[in-house]
Amino acid sequence: MSILYDDGQQAIATESRRVLDARMDKDRLLKLLEQQGAWDDIFWKTAVEQGWTALALPEAYGGLGLGLVELGLVAQACGAATAGAPFLTVGDGAAQAVLAAGGDDLKASLLPALASGEKLATVAFAEGNAPLPSLPEARFANGVLTGGKPGVVAGLRADVALVWANHAGQPALVLADLTAAKRTAIDSFDNSRLYADLGFDQVPATLLVDGAPALSLAQTILARMAVVTAHEQTGGAEALLFIARDYANTRKAFGQPIGGFQSVKHRIAELYGLVELARANCIHAAASDGSPDFLKAAAAARLSATEAYDTTARDTVQIHGGIGVTWEAGLHLHMRRARSLAIEQGNMFFWEDLLVSELTGVAA
Amino acid sequence: MSDVDTYRAKARAWLQSMAPIYGRDARRGLSEVEDLALARRYQRAKFDAGYAGINWPTAVGGQGLSHLEKVTFDTEEMSFGMPSVYFGISLGMPVPILIRFCEDKAWMRERVIAALKGEEIWCQLFSEPAGGSDLAGLRTRAEQDGNGWKLNGQKVWTSWAQYSDYGVIVARTDPTVPKHKGLTYFWVDMRAPGVTVRPIKLAGGDSHVNEVFFDDVKLTDAQRMSPVGGGFAVAMATLMIERYVATDSAGFGPPLDLFVDLARTCSLYGRPALEDARIRSTIARNYAMRAGLESITTRAMKMMQAGMEPGAEGSLNKLVAVRSRQKLSEMAIDLQGNLGLHFDPHAFVKEDWTASWINAPTGRIAGGADEMLLNTIAEKILGLPQDYRPDKGVPFNQIPA
Repeated sequence: MSILYDDGQQAIATESRRVLDARMDKDRLLKLLEQQGAWDDIFWKTAVEQGWTALALPEAYGGLGLGLVELGLVAQACGAATAGAPFLTVGDGAAQAVLAAGGDDLKASLLPALASGEKLATVAFAEGNAPLPSLPEARFANGVLTGGKPGVVAGLRADVALVWANHAGQPALVLADLTAAKRTAIDSFDNSRLYADLGFDQVPATLLVDGAPALSLAQTILARMAVVTAHEQTGGAEALLFIARDYANTRKAFGQPIGGFQSVKHRIAELYGLVELARANCIHAAASDGSPDFLKAAAAARLSATEAYDTTARDTVQIHGGIGVTWEAGLHLHMRRARSLAIEQGNMFFWEDLLVSELTGVAA
Repeated sequence: MSDVDTYRAKARAWLQSMAPIYGRDARRGLSEVEDLALARRYQRAKFDAGYAGINWPTAVGGQGLSHLEKVTFDTEEMSFGMPSVYFGISLGMPVPILIRFCEDKAWMRERVIAALKGEEIWCQLFSEPAGGSDLAGLRTRAEQDGNGWKLNGQKVWTSWAQYSDYGVIVARTDPTVPKHKGLTYFWVDMRAPGVTVRPIKLAGGDSHVNEVFFDDVKLTDAQRMSPVGGGFAVAMATLMIERYVATDSAGFGPPLDLFVDLARTCSLYGRPALEDARIRSTIARNYAMRAGLESITTRAMKMMQAGMEPGAEGSLNKLVAVRSRQKLSEMAIDLQGNLGLHFDPHAFVKEDWTASWINAPTGRIAGGADEMLLNTIAEKILGLPQDYRPDKGVPFNQIPA
């Protein structure tokens, strides 16, 4: 299913872009690249103030009761602005898992705090280079978690984490209290993502679901986050497309704008194609939330948005020539974000294989 | 169900009832002449059932419906392998232009209805040896001759000219002005003395395109369909008339399911090919690309339904779909190893990878080469500069040949 955005959705897209245009600042973001453990507080306060943390949660828990389409549109605006805090996507992922599988007490205590931005949540599924290992090494038993998770986004700061763990030989989703976890900051190429290796030494955790239903829910949550991230990637890719276009229209060489040379203009036209395919797949995937084809739609969005963002980042820098590789020009903010988002929510190998398994019934 | 869904269901039911008579299986093994005869009967059946001229005025034999119904029907029809190809150009461009620009309305109406019934076919005489993408660079000339005109020159890549009764043509009437300004638009009787049609055999073995020679062919002034020197605008109108056409995310080649079916029957190093990472990556990437195009098309249809102008991203369809079909076809042949060397020149492009592969280059050139489509996206959608054109503003007869 694909949709045309309704008036309310278009208003969300316009307003979130307008707010971020007014408040985001490249120099502020550049500074964050060289600091560990810092994030862009101005962005985050904006997100909370605009209700983006509450967007996709039910009204009963302090949310706005909107869906993946609206969340995607906000993510797209954040992507265009290379927003400087990683809490939106994973916060929603953890909240949706609690909503789907948590007890009433947990929902009542946690979800309003996530909606108001008072508490921060993240998701820790991956181990090694596997985004969703069939049987994870992190272990859950007797209400505590042992083991660890590498490179967890927002891991330096989140209060709770949705963790993919081994529960008596079965995969399980548990909610861990990160105040008791060991957080080791990672020196990363995209530091405002707050990446950390998490160590769990008897960390208190709550079991949400285990066995086959856990796998199914984990895939759905990962797919949901992949769709939000795909919107963020598409927003970044589209911003780069326009940056490349504008530069090619103004920079002159050999007596004409460089956009007059087919090697440049065709390259930009190809970027347009990648951005539009990614956007189309994002809209389709967001509108397919809850349908039997959701995993396929999410995978298609994820694959095309990652390709679009990586390629626009690569080519936009190339079109700029020397100025494109300077610290000051800041194109590397997008280059870095294109790669960090390509890894968060699962690498390409994972999504290609998941998609083909869904399409053919044959596993890799 | 929305109106368009009802329309789609009805169209599909009709197509299903016709498929045994006119569909892909009924056409297997027919010579082109037999296939054309079948095609004419099919076109007549469409006319009788109300599926010809779907979005044309009822006054000229059409159904008076919108683009939406037309695109809906064409999309449904595509999967049945019906013999509609002989009328694609005819009813797609020349005849709609005739409706709009022909002054003799009674004669026009007669021609339009004959074309809708499949009795007459029209071709479009635009490309020339000296100008395909650069249409305005054409050299065929029409000179005043008494009260009428005399046509001399050569056209090329003219689809179905060998079966055409009439054609529309752009010719140069004034070589002393810049190239776009010296052109005039006519219709021409393809049976007139001095018209010679020579089919061109293409790489895949078929000959649906032709060279057409004009040797002192006489035209009356009533055959003129534009002001003298105003032919380029009508030519542009011809190319714009079918802006919203039925698209195919498979690039008019085989569906992705067919690739999966093939991979299911093959093994690599004793393991199922579907477990091979290269095959999986190819399937995944093609699926994502095709799903994106389909989403673009779905949104375009919804926009039309809502009375809105579809987005510019629809222009990506042919560019993206055909070139990826070309690569996927190569891989499908590769996957079969030495068994992939077989070739049946009469196989259907939509169900045979080798036929799809050998005909794919035509798809990337005809109706706008990839490079022209990229130029259009860059210039018209993104606002990038036009290419450097040394012939701009220069009288045609002073442009170095």
